[in-house]
Amino acid sequence: MTIQELYSAIDGNYEQAVRVMRSDRLIDKYVRKLKDSQVGEKLAEAGESMDATRLFESAHAMKGVCSNLGLDRLAAAANEITEEFRPGSARKMTDDEVCARLDEIARRYRDTAEAIRRYEEQA
Amino acid sequence: MIISKQLRKPQLVLIVDDQEINRDVLGMILEDDYEILYASNGREALELIREYSDRLSVVLLDLIMPEMDGFEVLSRVRADEFLRRIPMIVLTAERSAELKALQMGAADFITKPFDMHEVILARVSRIIELSEGRQLISAAEHDPLTNLYTRNFFFEYANRIHRYHSVWRMDAVVLNIEQFHSVNALNGREFGDNALRVLGEEIKVFLAGTKGIASRFDADRFDIYCAPQPDYRALLDRFQERMNDLSRNASIRLRMGVAPWREGLEPMQLFDRASAACNMVRGDYKTRLMVYDEDMLEREMLNQRLLNDLRRAVEERELRVFYQPKYNVQCDPPKLTSAEALIRWQHPELGMVSPGAFIPLFEGNGQISVVDNFVWSEAARQIARWKEQFGVTVPVSVNLSRVDVFDPALEETLTGLVAENGLERSSLKLEVTESAYTENAGKMIERISRLRELGFMIEMDDFGSGYSSLNMLSAMPIDVLKMDMRFIKNIERDERDFWLVEVVLDIARHLKVPVVAEGVETGEQVEKLRRAGCELIQGYYFSRPLPPEEFEKLIIKEKEIERGE
Repeated sequence: MTIQELYSAIDGNYEQAVRVMRSDRLIDKYVRKLKDSQVGEKLAEAGESMDATRLFESAHAMKGVCSNLGLDRLAAAANEITEEFRPGSARKMTDDEVCARLDEIARRYRDTAEAIRRYEEQA
Repeated sequence: MIISKQLRKPQLVLIVDDQEINRDVLGMILEDDYEILYASNGREALELIREYSDRLSVVLLDLIMPEMDGFEVLSRVRADEFLRRIPMIVLTAERSAELKALQMGAADFITKPFDMHEVILARVSRIIELSEGRQLISAAEHDPLTNLYTRNFFFEYANRIHRYHSVWRMDAVVLNIEQFHSVNALNGREFGDNALRVLGEEIKVFLAGTKGIASRFDADRFDIYCAPQPDYRALLDRFQERMNDLSRNASIRLRMGVAPWREGLEPMQLFDRASAACNMVRGDYKTRLMVYDEDMLEREMLNQRLLNDLRRAVEERELRVFYQPKYNVQCDPPKLTSAEALIRWQHPELGMVSPGAFIPLFEGNGQISVVDNFVWSEAARQIARWKEQFGVTVPVSVNLSRVDVFDPALEETLTGLVAENGLERSSLKLEVTESAYTENAGKMIERISRLRELGFMIEMDDFGSGYSSLNMLSAMPIDVLKMDMRFIKNIERDERDFWLVEVVLDIARHLKVPVVAEGVETGEQVEKLRRAGCELIQGYYFSRPLPPEEFEKLIIKEKEIERGE
């Protein structure tokens, strides 16, 4: 599987990744790192405790990595959580709505991680 | 001059981001053009900023980070006087954060994700350029030694204060170190620089928390534009004390001129007045402070005129040397022994200018050596002329100013003059005032001793008016003591004054040197002094200072007496 094929599989924005990283080598490095970075796991844990600070920080971290990698949907979803829990700004969603969003992120993140695993095996 | 990029030391950039991917991407963008440091949180960043503060060209700063966020780093750096110059570019994806960061003093921002490499590179380069440009301006704004303003910036700011805040009614103060070039020459440049630095510090402490500003230029001139002070004497004493603390051996004496605020006067004019007041302090050993008043304007203009006219006066022979005889009163009749050379200035427009008006002025700015040199060479020529005409040597005393003593060419000049005119060195007597010995006595004594070894006679002028201690007297190389005229004035009426004369004569006896009494006007004074053992007398009783052609008559008369005519 090529890196481009991986991006098709996970519905990623390969062009954006290239704009940021400028090389497949670097995209490869950070795609692999994403899987091991635990960003998804940390966000899920924060969601369990509904700790606002941790939710903000972990969503912010996920948004950062994903937007660099052109994983636009994950980045956008993480951004929603980041803004919801940004210190000093008023909450707009109910906890249930947050949980639903987090579940969606977790599912998408799992799929992405799974695809990366396959990419690693076949690369 | 264009310095090629290759020749320039690579500029150092600090990238601060908690996410490795961001650090890597930025690093990749910048690595070809810059040397890069990385930090992954605010705390690390601050440590690196402090460590590399003198080299860092820019910091790229993420805002949301664990441990210490970017806002905190930004506010600490901006609050630090030394770190403040380093520009900070914030890295952010949020518009609201951009604004806040810019308000906190960030130089610019870079939007995440970092997908526009060329834009990022251009921004970093532009911010470095801007900040280096600002630092160049700042370098021109401040004097590197004291960190006070340079002259141009100082006057620019003073003018703004004058224009926009005229209600503050600021005074102009000029502070100067007396004979700063000698301080440097005697104690070394490093000592001089340190004195300037310490004085600058004290001025900053004085101005802290006020609206006042200060500048240093022309080496040792400090201009202070400040709110009117109740006691300028106390302010001068305060600065002087700091100078006294610097060294026990080297003496640094400050002088201060003040021009109080005056309606309609621009800062430049006010400082001209303060400077004029300060210059009037020059050479005066007691007064150290002068506050400008309107009379000074006139005096200052006169002084300026005399300073300007000096060169012409020498060339056009407006300066003339007069001679006042000295008589040995222990002989009967008193015998003409020698003379003192005294300068006179016949100014074409101002008429006869009193030496009291121009000598202290020239002493203050060092031009006295021009006058002294003129007198030496005139006197040497005159001694030779009389010798040729009358076959006798009339030794002449000439003045040796403090500035002359420290002139490295002095010995050569004097020995040259004597040789050119075919004279004995002892026929040129050098008068040094007592007060000249009080500063840097060691160095002074060394130079004077050398002249004495060469065969010149040294006369201590105005003895009794200065502050020489008795034990120092024995170390001073002198051949003649000249008693200050003030002693003589009242000796006929005042027993106490006469007693002081006897003390001086006693001291001279112990030192085994003759005494010249100056300013003697009456026969009674002559008689008293003669009986007390004073050997030589100079004053109106015998003769006023005379032009050489009139002095000749005294020589002729002396010769007639010798021949018993």
